[in-house]
Amino acid sequence: MSRFALPRWSLIAALSALTLVAAVASLLFGAVDLSVARLVDAATGNNDKVASIILFDLRLPRTLLALAVGAMLGLAGAALQGYLRNPLAEPSVLGTSNAAALGGVAAIYFGLAEIHPIVLPLLATGGALLSLALLFILSGKAESPLTLILAGIAVGTLAVAGTSLALNLSPNPFAAMEIMTWLLGSLENRSFDHVWIALPCIAIGTVMLLWNGRALDALTLGEEAAQALGTDLRRTRLRLLIGTAIGVGGAVAVTGAIGFVGLIVPHLIRPLTDRSPSAILLPSAIGGAALLTLADLGVRIIPTTNELKLGVVTAFLGVPVFLVHLMRERRLW
Amino acid sequence: MRRRSMMALAVLSGGAGLLWAASPAQPAKAPAIPQRIVSINLCADQLVLALADRKQIAGLTKNATDREMSGEAAKARGIPLLSNSAEQILAIEPDLIVGMPASRSAALAALPKHTYPLLDLETANTPEEIYASIRETAAAVGHPGRGDALIARMQGELAGLSEPGKGRVAAYYQRRGYMTGTGTLIDELMTRVGLVNLAGKLGKPPLSQLSLEEMVAAQPDYLIVESSTDKVTDQGSEMLHHPALKDIPRISVPQAWTVCGSPAYTRAARSMVDQIVHLEGKRS
Repeated sequence: MSRFALPRWSLIAALSALTLVAAVASLLFGAVDLSVARLVDAATGNNDKVASIILFDLRLPRTLLALAVGAMLGLAGAALQGYLRNPLAEPSVLGTSNAAALGGVAAIYFGLAEIHPIVLPLLATGGALLSLALLFILSGKAESPLTLILAGIAVGTLAVAGTSLALNLSPNPFAAMEIMTWLLGSLENRSFDHVWIALPCIAIGTVMLLWNGRALDALTLGEEAAQALGTDLRRTRLRLLIGTAIGVGGAVAVTGAIGFVGLIVPHLIRPLTDRSPSAILLPSAIGGAALLTLADLGVRIIPTTNELKLGVVTAFLGVPVFLVHLMRERRLW
Repeated sequence: MRRRSMMALAVLSGGAGLLWAASPAQPAKAPAIPQRIVSINLCADQLVLALADRKQIAGLTKNATDREMSGEAAKARGIPLLSNSAEQILAIEPDLIVGMPASRSAALAALPKHTYPLLDLETANTPEEIYASIRETAAAVGHPGRGDALIARMQGELAGLSEPGKGRVAAYYQRRGYMTGTGTLIDELMTRVGLVNLAGKLGKPPLSQLSLEEMVAAQPDYLIVESSTDKVTDQGSEMLHHPALKDIPRISVPQAWTVCGSPAYTRAARSMVDQIVHLEGKRS
């Protein structure tokens, strides 16, 4: 037990409260100053067209996406760290996010996304799945946790190169700007169309990853002990692979690859729990939602001449806290 | 002669200095009718294509045949396209290089020992400035009569246009939320058809970025968009199709007509007038 550990329900309640505050703030602040009274009026259906378009067509989908994508990334990080028993595992370090971005880029720039709305998340999920499969093959038999990370870096680098190449090959004169958005992530100008693409994927991914909680706990004793305890390792791995691929694929398809959330959040949550992998899953999802929503609020509030990318803010927000924890924890992870 | 028209142009465009005077080497004199003309600027491409004989043209820029970008793209097919490299210019030995301005070209700076006759054009943001560029180019390529005829035709076309905008507010909204401001060809077109530029109303610079929220809050009567963004091809153009903008009527104009001050100006104006008349009809 860590000395910071909180009772589980109070941790979840506190994180939920933080997330709620972040979500409300995300609805209140934006490029245009709207008074709370005006927003409440719009929400209750008064005839204020401008305020209601801003609230319902612009801020609400953006907030929902920040919550859902953040939750997915936080949860995927916690699940991957638990399953692989590796503190550095998370979708962007392992190259999953970038591979999903490659799938998304292929869908949009080669006109495949126009065929049917499902093609975009499908290709993004496919990219994510392919990268995870490749990763497990590359690092399958290796003992050292470093092999996995190195394989992840290789897969991720390949995906980034593929994304840039695809954009350079497409007849798009604005490729450079597009590459940046896909690699650093953005929630700018999202609509409910995007919510409907991402949300079902994230729901499926969340269920599959939360399902694994007990198996992850058993795995802390080692694979053989886990099997002796009745864990079906193959099924656990399959759920982890598919859950991560679908969830992260759907998220990245609409926001681009947002880094750090999956890495930082489980590390921030872990000291507050009993450190068992299953205890971290749900709080990491809620914490991820809060972190990404706050980061997106930062994107809107920090005045810049050019659009600030989400990945930049998550890095600035998360890494210092992460480093403090790292120093304090050292060998405890 | 060329010097005088350069000066007229400089006066028209607000007293910008003589650009060719700043060129490193004294340019050679162009023959009366040059036979190996090279254009090193997309806007110059269109003027050269409109005014010179096809056989006089030895090279254009690589975008000259792009229908999205050049109003004279169809005419450019078959003419060599250059990638603005010094080697290619050296091989052609042009007897006239047209640019905007030609004297600041990096490719020419790499050839300090070669002095080619240069024609420096200025960015044209009004019909008067377009006429000046046409007159100047026509004289330089040896067909001044064609220039006068083209100008007369454009003047005639513009004289027949109505101003259906009735002072309504419009925003020229580009990919990623860039908005075109005052002092530009777009602004001049809006004024011509009777529209008021939102950027001017908000006091924005010639190019600014306006978020979707700000655009919704400003509620312009029209959005003017480039026709290439009518279809979602990437995240930049996807923004212009956000549901928050669906209630604002759209005027769609090909970029090829507006990116340069060129003879296509009248086509852009005519198209905007027609679309506004159509949309105003729907309003009432």
